[in-house]
Amino acid sequence: MRVLAPPRSLQGRLLVLLLGLVVSVWLATAVTTWFDARHELDELLDSHLAQAAAILVMQQSHEAGEQEHEVDSPTLHRYAPKVAFQVFHEGRLALRSANAPASRMIGTGERIESGFRTVTFDGNAWRVFATHGAERDVQVFVGEQMTSRTAILWAVLRSTLWPMAVALPLLALAVWWSINRSVEPLRRLGRSLAERDASSLQPAVIQGAPLEMTPMIDALNGLFQRIAELMESERRFTADAAHELRTPIAAIRAQAQVALGEVDAGLRRHALQATLEGCDRATRLVAQLLTLSRLEAGAEGTAIDVDLSELVRRVVAEEAPPGLRKQQTIEVDAANQCRVKGDATLLAVLTRNLVDNALRYSPESATVRITVQTSEAGVRLRVEDSGPGISDVDMKRLGERFFRVLGSGEGGSGLGWSIVRRIAAAHGASIQVSRSPALGGLRTDVVWPLCSQGG
Amino acid sequence: MRILLAEDDPLLGDGLRAGLRQLGFLVDWVRDGVAAERELRTHPYAAAVLDLGLPLKDGMAVLQDVRRAGIVLPVLVLTARDALPDRIRGLDVGADDYVVKPVDLNELGARLRALVRRSHGQPQECLSAQDIVLDPAARSVLRSGTPITLSAREFDLLHTLMLNAGRVLSREQLEQHLYSWGQEVDSNAVEVHIHHLRRKIGGTLIQTVRGVGYMLQREGRPT
Repeated sequence: MRVLAPPRSLQGRLLVLLLGLVVSVWLATAVTTWFDARHELDELLDSHLAQAAAILVMQQSHEAGEQEHEVDSPTLHRYAPKVAFQVFHEGRLALRSANAPASRMIGTGERIESGFRTVTFDGNAWRVFATHGAERDVQVFVGEQMTSRTAILWAVLRSTLWPMAVALPLLALAVWWSINRSVEPLRRLGRSLAERDASSLQPAVIQGAPLEMTPMIDALNGLFQRIAELMESERRFTADAAHELRTPIAAIRAQAQVALGEVDAGLRRHALQATLEGCDRATRLVAQLLTLSRLEAGAEGTAIDVDLSELVRRVVAEEAPPGLRKQQTIEVDAANQCRVKGDATLLAVLTRNLVDNALRYSPESATVRITVQTSEAGVRLRVEDSGPGISDVDMKRLGERFFRVLGSGEGGSGLGWSIVRRIAAAHGASIQVSRSPALGGLRTDVVWPLCSQGG
Repeated sequence: MRILLAEDDPLLGDGLRAGLRQLGFLVDWVRDGVAAERELRTHPYAAAVLDLGLPLKDGMAVLQDVRRAGIVLPVLVLTARDALPDRIRGLDVGADDYVVKPVDLNELGARLRALVRRSHGQPQECLSAQDIVLDPAARSVLRSGTPITLSAREFDLLHTLMLNAGRVLSREQLEQHLYSWGQEVDSNAVEVHIHHLRRKIGGTLIQTVRGVGYMLQREGRPT
């Protein structure tokens, strides 16, 4: 037989469970009642049988031999056939009820043990109590049809079960109604979710929701909110990225068009140079956007032991030419080997952004100093310059995507800092931005915690 | 035509200035919102090209404040923000045109000329007075159907006078229309240009209002 699958609806499940439980309890009650009543009934009726037998024994002892002619006693009530008795005197049947058989109800021998038996005669089951007088010449059997006991038990049981049979459908209806009412908020939540606009991320509000649903609705609304924030940040990023890409492209277009229409060779050359510069800027912006999107996608590169000093010397050598053209002094103090664990490419990107920022936003003839040091705190990369620095308010905002310090006159993308912060975070390094006491401009410290020995 | 360009991006600003100069505009370039507002309040520009993402003061705020101050010059907003709400807000705040980067320089010039023309209540493309017809787009002048050659300064002077036909313009006003920053202005430069212009287009068109300035008679639409 196949096991019935539980109903899929909560309402059906609750209904089946509750009604099943009620029926089980009722049945258990009925069974208990049955056994309890039977026990009490047996006790009572058996005692009646014993009592009757005792009377008969007493009577037979007194009247022994007097009424030997009248063996059968008359039937006085219509229920009388349900009870039977036999009295034997010295092995001879002395007295019996009309419905009692001529032979002994129990056994055939002379010696009969006193007590209760359940026997069958006349095709019926009888409960028989056998006993004998003190001299053992008198034997008495009192019997009672078992069916009458069963009938009483059934009557008791019927009175227990009947109300249940009547009440069960009503109860089922009541339970169904209560459950239906209780799960209504759930259904409403389902409807409100199904009906809402697919793109809507408004929180779901269910009037009269029970306490048990609150965590679910809260979790759902929390999820909606997180998705909304995520989508908003995506949307902003796309809009910002488009905005940032449009400006260099517009510049390239304008400069190229100027070059096309310019008759003066010097001016045309200037426009063409500017076109190239615009291309470089757009390229750098695209590269930065890609880096950032890769970082945001969680690419952390492969961590190996990197000599930060060597890496910094290499990056500064690559980045130096524009600074040297601006007559800037670039000082590098990175002689000692300083090992950090990380991805060499990403660390180079970080360093390049910091150095590039310092060179780009410092005026001509400024000094840019880059130091790499190992101390107790860890490995520290410091980039400081003698440029104008930035205000405290702007310092806090560094690292916001596309945030640019205004009035710098430089066409940065505002992405460099976002990238630096991401890379540092991915490497467990901390960043501190402050005013350089030595040079007066911006000072940036990136500190990596020390590598564990042998790591 | 002297216009103000407010753009913070050095490459784009440089390109736009050079391009608009090629098209015959006199361009003053500012790189932040505060400077833009200051210039708009102090100089009679024919039009302004305004970027929205300006440092120090947002372009939209500049536009709003300038309009509140009752300055009615045509303003073309040039921006990378192309979202519809941005465009609607820009126009609502007082922009006369809204152009999304990147833009073709010729288109930008044409839009500026159209804005200037409309701001002087001039629906037609060409301006005319007596037998003179001036085409701002082609920067050409016809006298009785025959092309005449004018220097850039003479053309701008005639253009300004024709746009402001019926109004007396002082020498200082004309100078402000004719010279952008950093250009040396001789004390009698306007007189010299007027003198040359009269020789080329005839003596009666430009009238001298003694002690005040010059005026071009308002009359005839092109025939």
